[in-house]
Amino acid sequence: MKKFITAGTLALTGAIAPQIASAQSATVQQIVERGTMLCSGHNGSYFGFVEVNDQNEWKGLDIDLCRALTTAILGDPDANQIVPLSWAQRFPALQSGDVDVIIKATGWTMGRDTELGLQFSLPYFFGGTQFMAHGDLGITDATGLEGGTVCVEAGTSIERLAANYMTTIGVEHTMVSYESQAELRSAYLANRCDAFAGWGPNLAVLRATELDNPDAHTILSDQLSSEPISAAMRQGDDGFVDTVNWMLASLLIAEEEGVTSANVEEMAATPPNPRVARLLGAEPGMGERLGLRDTWAKEMIAAVGNFAEIYDRNLGKDSPYGLERGLNSLWSEGGVLYAPILD
Amino acid sequence: MSIVNVSRPSKFDVARRTFIRNGFGSPLATLISLFVIAGLAYLGWAMLDWAILRAVWNEENVSRCGGHAGACWSVIDARHRLILFGTYPFDEHWRSTLAAIAIVVTVMVSCLPFIWRARRLAVLWVAGFATYYLLMEGSLLGLPQVTTDGWGGLSLTLFLFAAVVLLGMPMGLGLALMRRSEMPVVRWFATILIDTVRSLPLVTTLFTAAVVMPLFLPNWLEGDKIWRVIVAFAMFFAAYQAEVFRGGFQAISKGQFEAGRALGLNYWSILGRIVLPQVFRHALPSTINMIVVTFKETAIVTIIGFFDILASGKAAYGTAVWAPYYIEVLVFVAAIYWVFIFLLGQYGEYLKSRMALAAH
Repeated sequence: MKKFITAGTLALTGAIAPQIASAQSATVQQIVERGTMLCSGHNGSYFGFVEVNDQNEWKGLDIDLCRALTTAILGDPDANQIVPLSWAQRFPALQSGDVDVIIKATGWTMGRDTELGLQFSLPYFFGGTQFMAHGDLGITDATGLEGGTVCVEAGTSIERLAANYMTTIGVEHTMVSYESQAELRSAYLANRCDAFAGWGPNLAVLRATELDNPDAHTILSDQLSSEPISAAMRQGDDGFVDTVNWMLASLLIAEEEGVTSANVEEMAATPPNPRVARLLGAEPGMGERLGLRDTWAKEMIAAVGNFAEIYDRNLGKDSPYGLERGLNSLWSEGGVLYAPILD
Repeated sequence: MSIVNVSRPSKFDVARRTFIRNGFGSPLATLISLFVIAGLAYLGWAMLDWAILRAVWNEENVSRCGGHAGACWSVIDARHRLILFGTYPFDEHWRSTLAAIAIVVTVMVSCLPFIWRARRLAVLWVAGFATYYLLMEGSLLGLPQVTTDGWGGLSLTLFLFAAVVLLGMPMGLGLALMRRSEMPVVRWFATILIDTVRSLPLVTTLFTAAVVMPLFLPNWLEGDKIWRVIVAFAMFFAAYQAEVFRGGFQAISKGQFEAGRALGLNYWSILGRIVLPQVFRHALPSTINMIVVTFKETAIVTIIGFFDILASGKAAYGTAVWAPYYIEVLVFVAAIYWVFIFLLGQYGEYLKSRMALAAH
């Protein structure tokens, strides 16, 4: 029924006013009426992405993206409510309307895209499964694990990936499964495993936070997988997907153009080129096409910064984790993040 | 004629003598005792050494943690408010504190014999829960509103526990009575309900209530997630508690009902004045058991996104600075659980001795 109405409205607006078709987003309207954006949090903490600071406030890469989206739609980075969700709960919670969007280190998979009726945004992060090994083994890739012991967390997709990968490259090894991260970690530290498999960012976080001597551990160069991490939305609201995509795109364009939270006002007053002028609303167009204010991107960057600022603050060089940008650099710096064309 | 000293030996003396007799009666017993004592002393010393002697206590000294230092209680110093209050707004913690105290007082007063009248209990519970809700939610008192998504920590755990037990207990009694009913439809209904609920895992029940139900319930019936979860959890508690009460009922001979009827008492008088007091006495140990288990089971709500004390504990060490000190956080949370459960157990002992007096 809801789908039918949305489709009907879209057809109608398409006939009358094609230029603002994407402004007719039911989700955005709902958020504006409510005055609050509902974002996903975590039941605990997911290092770098969703954490709680000493003032009991949410922080992290995913939280900052939620704040960016909130600023884009409502003009106020704090007009959101972070709903704590477990991993298992996140998709039903999105479908039932408990949250407007899921920004929660969520990989874009075909099953989720089709069977679960979700819609994914542009990827904003690429994370892959990798191995971490004791540095004194002196190895740099998984072929060095011949005859060794590899540990994994039982029942995870990482376990399957690691087994697959080791068979493919033909390395004889013993694989040991542990019930929990904590057990896996202590087994590794007690030298019961030569290496263990995990999600790249998690390994870096672990190396930075838990291990006494970070240099004594090597993250092997093998990329067992690379998963695109995207924001997930309910299927059928194209306007909202556009809004989320352009929120992410604007953060990347701002980084490309060197627009930061510090210089955004100045850049908006005297834009160095037409692209920046359009981005920051000095030239009209950005807002109308999404049904938002022309200055939404400017306000957003002033509130949370560009993508580099968000990344560095939460995961990168200004954070305790010091995770390299790597794949998550802009295309112009050897990464895979890029924005669609702002015309 | 000699004077016989008839003063009772002190409890301590008795314990000491029993200990020496049983522990050091034979060479083998002595050997085992020494071994066990040495083991316990070693463990005790290791814990004392870790938790107190070599511990680092405050946030400013966190740099001394790690290496050869013992427990790093700095994490508790820095993050105790997160553990106790979850993501509740920092400036409003006094509300969460008062609300938690209101719940503890409500539960404690419920434990006192003078309150055990249906009307008094009803008034107390309504007042207690209303106080909690008004303080936590806030908008009706003109305070900044905090929706249930922001509730968390110890005060959420206590609230869930109290609500589930106080709601589930009468429901359980009702189900137990229905199951003993002479009307077949009522009896079957209770039997089917109890067996259905008991055949489902708690996690499934709560997940359905929190996550799946909003997908098909109409909006006006949906309510807040927390109420759906409390009702589902209370149903679960009630199904088990009904069986505990049934055990209590079975211990009472039918003759007592018949005697009551012969005296001209009606059903409710027989139940209230003759049967139930005995049922409660018989069901007491298992009931305390149920209550303790329920207190610990509240931690399951973390999988449906509630920030109970265990989840907020995880969040407390879930940041770069504090990540290495998860053991300290878990010990702290365990100590809180221990205090509450120990008190519950002691209250159970008190009730037992009180009822033992009544039985004679």
